[in-house]
Amino acid sequence: MVTATATRPGGGDVAAPPPTTPDHRPAVPRTFYLFLIPTLVLFTLSITLPAIMGITLSFTDSVGFGEFSFTGLTNYVALFADPAVRSSYLFTIGFALVTVVLVNVIAFLLAVGLTARIRAKVALRAVFVLPMVISGIVIAYVFNFLFSNSVPQLGQALGVAALEQSLLADPDLAWVTIVIVTAWQAIPSALLIYIAGILSIPGEVYEAAAMDGASARRRLLSITLPLVSGYVVINLVIGFKNFLNAYDIIVGLTNGGPGTATRSVAMTIFSGFTGGDYAYQMANATIFFLIAVVLAVVQLRLTRGRSALS
Amino acid sequence: MASQTALMSAELSRRGFLRGVAAAGAGLALASCSRPSSGVTEIVFYQSKPEVIGYFDDLIEQFHQTQSRVRVRHDATSNLAGTFVRESPPDIGCLNYNFEVSRYVERGALSDLGDMPEAGRVLDDLQPLIDVTATYPDRTSVIPYSLMAAAVLYNREIFAQHGLVPPTTHAEFLALCDALTAAGVTPFYSTFKDPWTIAQGHFDYAVGGMLDTTDFFRRLKEQGADAGPDAPVTFEKQFLEPVRRMQELVGYTNADAASRGYGDGNLAFANGQAAMYLQGPWALGEIAKTNPDLDVGAFPLPMTDDPADRKVRVNIDLALWIPERSTKQEAAREFLAFLMQPDVIDAYNAHALGFGVTQDAAPVTDPTLVELQEYYDRADFYLGASQLVPQSIPLQNYTQSLASGADPQRVLRTLDADWQRLAFRS
Repeated sequence: MVTATATRPGGGDVAAPPPTTPDHRPAVPRTFYLFLIPTLVLFTLSITLPAIMGITLSFTDSVGFGEFSFTGLTNYVALFADPAVRSSYLFTIGFALVTVVLVNVIAFLLAVGLTARIRAKVALRAVFVLPMVISGIVIAYVFNFLFSNSVPQLGQALGVAALEQSLLADPDLAWVTIVIVTAWQAIPSALLIYIAGILSIPGEVYEAAAMDGASARRRLLSITLPLVSGYVVINLVIGFKNFLNAYDIIVGLTNGGPGTATRSVAMTIFSGFTGGDYAYQMANATIFFLIAVVLAVVQLRLTRGRSALS
Repeated sequence: MASQTALMSAELSRRGFLRGVAAAGAGLALASCSRPSSGVTEIVFYQSKPEVIGYFDDLIEQFHQTQSRVRVRHDATSNLAGTFVRESPPDIGCLNYNFEVSRYVERGALSDLGDMPEAGRVLDDLQPLIDVTATYPDRTSVIPYSLMAAAVLYNREIFAQHGLVPPTTHAEFLALCDALTAAGVTPFYSTFKDPWTIAQGHFDYAVGGMLDTTDFFRRLKEQGADAGPDAPVTFEKQFLEPVRRMQELVGYTNADAASRGYGDGNLAFANGQAAMYLQGPWALGEIAKTNPDLDVGAFPLPMTDDPADRKVRVNIDLALWIPERSTKQEAAREFLAFLMQPDVIDAYNAHALGFGVTQDAAPVTDPTLVELQEYYDRADFYLGASQLVPQSIPLQNYTQSLASGADPQRVLRTLDADWQRLAFRS
């Protein structure tokens, strides 16, 4: 996606016609390739090579250092039979689905409100975007305190039995706290994209709708929503992909507990690094990587289709 | 026009790039100059136990004053696994000896210290504990430095008020808890929010009080990967009764245990909110911060009806090791010998409330821990089971499930399955 737009200026978007080669294909000035070199080198050194090493190690019995021998598919066989791994995938995917829906519904409604003619619009936008600039682990520790102490006290004061025990300590409900905190942090970035999307809708469309007598609700559902649908898709796919990587907020809130009720895939993978299960969790990481690749392809397909529409 | 600008910017960027390269090169040259070149060897000492980082800084200073050949750099923050993966481990380490260090031992990443006279001073009773954690053929991979003995901490004042004495059998212990409950006192304080506190306390005390953990794990490892659920040694078979008794104890704990953490527990026990607390000596300093006058005693949790079965839970809190890959092993050994000097090691253990690990060690003097000295001297101790399960099995989380009432049979079966899978792939 990024490289496609980056090379385009050499193609048609530049004001003066670019020099052409004998077979009439527009030649891309060498300079643009030079610009790619630093990124290419960094990407290769810090992502591609380690990834290849990691995938190679997933076929061994390495503990991260020292000697190791190749064990073929042993790690992968063990992985598919491991209920702990399976439950971490189920938890992570379920969590990502719930969170992505919640984040987008709230962010969209907030964006509609914050683009309407209301007072102190700019100040309110700044307030709503604030959670984005706080680090996840800090947010998690603050909420951890709230859920363990403040909420139960509130529950006692109000006589709400359901809130008297900490939600974090309930194996069936601890995931709810993670959804709430993750959503609290993730809503601002989705909100910004929605605000940009709503502001890009030409005012004339609304004027015409108003003249035809469309109610505010009708305008929201028949004009705003369809015209920002491209942004909805971007937010859904990017959000889902990000939530699959959930780590810091979970570590700060429940650390995978109570029991193993809220262990995410990323936590399971990292436990192999610190716990000496290096090669095994490398195999897990490889599978997780393949899932991310599939999602990225889906994202590219969908967003390409949408940008052609608009 | 556009292509001309592009060309200009290309030239600019090329020039800028060259300038950047030159600057980076100069930086490297400078960096290499700053390396010490005289006869001083700098070694990296990895030690990260938070309570004693400052103490070891002082020791390093002392060491620097006694000689000028070796300089020690104290590393308390690196990710140890990362340093081994990058093949640049510290030159000498001083760490808790448990499931974390065990893999470095088993893969032969730690050098043999058997020829050092310091290795010969270690108490013979500790050898089985070292061996069951991890061994490498014909090597003395670690030299223990400090041992922590943990038991039930109790508030002597509350005990005296209600005319109670430390129990010697499990029945006495339950009667004691009932008496306290009847008097309106919370028998003991628990902090289930921090899983490690359950694993080292309730779980380890219950298991270690009923069975020989060293023997259990030795036999479990011997069984290897082929053992199924019908094998003679499984968590489900041997741990079921201890774990049931552990769950029985949960009934005598504070009602909000599930949302309390380690810090809350220290505060509550210091303020006399409960009569007992299942924590090791590391908590004593934290408790004293809140209430320096609290009179705390300690007794091993009796889990059977034979008083002779009472044992204290120990762990090798610090052990010294020197990685094979260190290029400065001689200098590291010099520092190790300094740390092992009788006055240095005794002073450390007195400061950190540890028990001595050498034959010439001084006894403990702490008013709480003196109650445990007799068990230590008789070798009536066991390694906490939670210290012997590899970290890739989330045992601490499982103990949290148990504390919140999960079916013990199901949890232990999961533990067995995890152990099997680990044995299969390693």
